[in-house]
Amino acid sequence: MGEVIVITSGKGGVGKTTTTANIGTGLAVSGKKVVLVDTDIGLRNLDVVMGLENRIVYDLVDVVEKTCRLKQALIKDKRYDGLYLLPAAQTRDKNSVKPEQMIELCDELRQEFDYIIIDCPAGIEQGFKNAIAGADRAIVVTTPEVSAVRDADRIIGLLESQEIRNPRLIVNRVRADMVKRGDMMSIEDIVDILAIGLIGVVPDDEQIIISTNKGEPAVTDNKSMAGQAYRNITKRIMGEDVPLMDLNTSDGFLSKMKRLFGIKPA
Amino acid sequence: MEQEIKGIVFKGNSEGLIIVIPENYDFEQALEEIERKVTSASRFFKGARMKVAYRGQKLTPEQEEAVKAILDEKSGAIIESFARDEEPVREHISHQNNNTHKVPVRGPFFTGIDEGSCKFIRSTVRNGVRIEYNGNVVVLGDVNPGAEIVASGNVIVLGILRGMVHAGADGNKDAFIYALNLKPTQIRIAEAIARMPEDEESAHGICPEMATVKDGVIIVEQM
Repeated sequence: MGEVIVITSGKGGVGKTTTTANIGTGLAVSGKKVVLVDTDIGLRNLDVVMGLENRIVYDLVDVVEKTCRLKQALIKDKRYDGLYLLPAAQTRDKNSVKPEQMIELCDELRQEFDYIIIDCPAGIEQGFKNAIAGADRAIVVTTPEVSAVRDADRIIGLLESQEIRNPRLIVNRVRADMVKRGDMMSIEDIVDILAIGLIGVVPDDEQIIISTNKGEPAVTDNKSMAGQAYRNITKRIMGEDVPLMDLNTSDGFLSKMKRLFGIKPA
Repeated sequence: MEQEIKGIVFKGNSEGLIIVIPENYDFEQALEEIERKVTSASRFFKGARMKVAYRGQKLTPEQEEAVKAILDEKSGAIIESFARDEEPVREHISHQNNNTHKVPVRGPFFTGIDEGSCKFIRSTVRNGVRIEYNGNVVVLGDVNPGAEIVASGNVIVLGILRGMVHAGADGNKDAFIYALNLKPTQIRIAEAIARMPEDEESAHGICPEMATVKDGVIIVEQM
């Protein structure tokens, strides 16, 4: 039986879709059978980030409305074995799907896959309710900004009220130099407020923008620091114990980062 | 109807006294009762400065004057004003078939701040959550920014208070707010509102503080 994990944040633009793409690809590279489900109906992006946009024939709404069979709508990623995408509809809206239909869909996907990763839309309305309906676990993505942390807090409260306990936190786009200068919220500050377990810290990395535009998740790029962070998160999802990054060292930025991400100094 | 009529009722509120005079009550009898009650409680009233309102039966200006004269003379308090309180009293709603039940009843405020009903919240109160309670509230966790706690009694936060808390929400100025670490967005006690000074270096960890009202202003003291 597979596990359904929803990637959510409340605030838009903090990196839900990028995180979904990277975690999903990371799990697939590790030999798991994974399906990514884009629930951002009307504003779909996951297909673009995955570089699979031109292969969409059927989508999520077609599946729940039974216009097609589930297998027909799943797009197989040719680069990575065991990686599939269920894209969102672009010409419909969030109300085209009901939470009960999502639960049914998740239960069907559970039979086939090890991991079902759901990309949640921003906001707390219908789209969010649909995305979390069938989820077993949740990963909340935030950035070191007060507004993003506020929204994450709201989301954690809503997840708890929907009986999705112990969500995990990813802090995205951290700039260690700014944190050190006191210009950015530290990981400790964020965890202090949100009071949930941290599953990963992703540094701000321009490589992400390049890989997102190319439709190739950074997780497979050995030179990318963000990619390394996502590889660590992937391992943690599979139950491995990988140490978290430590921001309190006084070394230079580069050697610190190398150590934090498990790259041995030359 | 006759049996349901109770005597004159005195109630306290944040500004002074409310006298409830039942409808169709004999004025002479009412006057007598008020005089008796005020005289018996004159030690309590002595020297106080208060506004007196009455509810229920509408009095003529002459009758109002008569009541005020008795209050002035017998209570020993300084009566700042005496006027009809337009809001209806609970007792009358059931008798009257008009729309007054839509108007909120302004009763006397919650007084159980030393000993009274209490609600325990056993988790962190997160952004977007509002807790309203007629009584005291104890939070075993943090109160995050965007969360609101409105209690008619005291509010105690055994954690970090970062959100908004309103204690004594229905008018009790003696209510207090206590937190193991007090850095709220805003705190309110009865009608007083305060926010934290922005430049203040906020303490980390446990640093218990209590907010109370003194002379109409919220003050915060370390405990």
